[in-house]
Amino acid sequence: MALSRRLLPLFLRRGFPAAAAPARALSTAAAPAPAPPASASEEEDESSITVKGVRISGRPLYLDMQATTPVDPRVLDAMLPFYLSRYGNPHSRTHLYGWESDAAVEAARARVAALVGADPREIFFTSGATECNNIAVKGVARFYRDRRRHVVTTQTEHKCVLDSCRYLQQEGFEVTYLPVRADGLVDLAQLEDAIRPDTALVSVMAVNNEIGVVQPLEEIGRICREKGVPFHTDAAQALGKIPIDVGRMGIGLMSLSGHKIYGPKGVGALYLRRRPRIRVEPQMSGGGQERGIRSGTVPTPLVVGFGAACEIAAKEMDYDHRRVAALQQRLLDGIRAQVDEVVINGSMEHRYPGNLNLSFAYVEGESLLMGLKEVAVSSGSACTSASLEPSYVLRALGVEEDMAHTSIRFGMGRFTTEEEVDRAIELTVRQVKKLRDMSPLYEMAKAGIDLKSIEWSQH
Amino acid sequence: MAAAAAPTRAEVLSLFRSFLRTAKQFSDYNIREYTRRRAADAFRENRALGDPPAANAAFAEGKKQLEVAKRQAVVYSLYAPKAKSVMELQVQQ
Repeated sequence: MALSRRLLPLFLRRGFPAAAAPARALSTAAAPAPAPPASASEEEDESSITVKGVRISGRPLYLDMQATTPVDPRVLDAMLPFYLSRYGNPHSRTHLYGWESDAAVEAARARVAALVGADPREIFFTSGATECNNIAVKGVARFYRDRRRHVVTTQTEHKCVLDSCRYLQQEGFEVTYLPVRADGLVDLAQLEDAIRPDTALVSVMAVNNEIGVVQPLEEIGRICREKGVPFHTDAAQALGKIPIDVGRMGIGLMSLSGHKIYGPKGVGALYLRRRPRIRVEPQMSGGGQERGIRSGTVPTPLVVGFGAACEIAAKEMDYDHRRVAALQQRLLDGIRAQVDEVVINGSMEHRYPGNLNLSFAYVEGESLLMGLKEVAVSSGSACTSASLEPSYVLRALGVEEDMAHTSIRFGMGRFTTEEEVDRAIELTVRQVKKLRDMSPLYEMAKAGIDLKSIEWSQH
Repeated sequence: MAAAAAPTRAEVLSLFRSFLRTAKQFSDYNIREYTRRRAADAFRENRALGDPPAANAAFAEGKKQLEVAKRQAVVYSLYAPKAKSVMELQVQQ
């Protein structure tokens, strides 16, 4: 077995084309037990995968890091002991099992806190950023409902913030949905004007999930502090990628997620400021875990994984950032060198480089995505990827409907290689050119006809 | 504890080679490439570490990370999907 593991990568390297197939068979035969099948609807063998009737030659290269990230092996290594012998309930106070789990949870809490400059007592573990956003938005509004009836947010927030706000409107709260500028950033003067004496909360996300723009957190925090309004930020896409300091940025509440920073899915954390204290009405009734903010047994393995992911992110942030920025440049240069009329959605200056959202003019978006079967990318957020509607985030930026339809979000991260970026460029360029060759609109535009001037006949 | 001398050049090189060997054993394309790349960059970065405590700390950290990589290479091999990444297939054609 050891031999086959050592041989396999050798065969797969360049120069051994024909030998790769037998090497695979060898490694399967030598495995101690067959791995359980991933799912029933998926057919997989050495030469191809068939899912939902689509046949692909291999597992696609992954450029969808905003949807989720792979678990870092170092994270899994920290988690596994708590799936094996150390299975205690961290809230059990009467035996070793509980004590060791509790110690691990508290160590993880300290790691999460350290990454954002918080006190460990300000970190509350939840099931993820969606739950945090719900607790923050609804919880603050409900707790201060007697005196404060108004919430300020932006049009480009994540669905779970917008939906929570909509829910509050049904309960009689007023919500201001601030527009954003064409570059995706919120207008600070507008934000300041929107705050009223009875505003309970200002909620602005740190890094946008679809277009990657970084909002001016420090300035927003300062405005909120001056006005005495709690500032909530959804930092699921920002944690571990840009430096966050809750003190410097004047953040009162913050939503964090494990699976966006190479940690496990199903865990997140809410930061809740102690001084001045911000209070929320909890959503979950129960055993009073997490100081009553979020009842329910804390999932030790997930929390430990989240803590490990934060610790690694703190150490690796500079290294990862340098790499991801170089990859973004490579991708952008590569595509622009071969395809014209490519538009970057969102500010390029205030942007997390791991997100590159591009629109290709005169190309139909779904055809483009379907033609890129070997590249795992998305047109926007995973939550809305089932619908053919253009992204509401892009529309908020004022992107024309046809351009919003042709957007692709390339998400790069810690494990992305230069070769993957090069392949993505090659495949994207090929597909865009193919679709444009078929497009009468592109032909007309090239002939100098202004498409906006055409009066399309009814049919 | 007495301050130990900095690791010798031979010890450091041996640790680096172990990293490269372990990296190759990862069945996952991205993890394999990352392990190799990260180890190479870390050793390059720390090459100039002259002062013994710092060099010792980096060496100890390296040994710890190597153990993690060795364990995880085994875990990954146990659950490797049958189909390879398209990035590995190109080599065949």
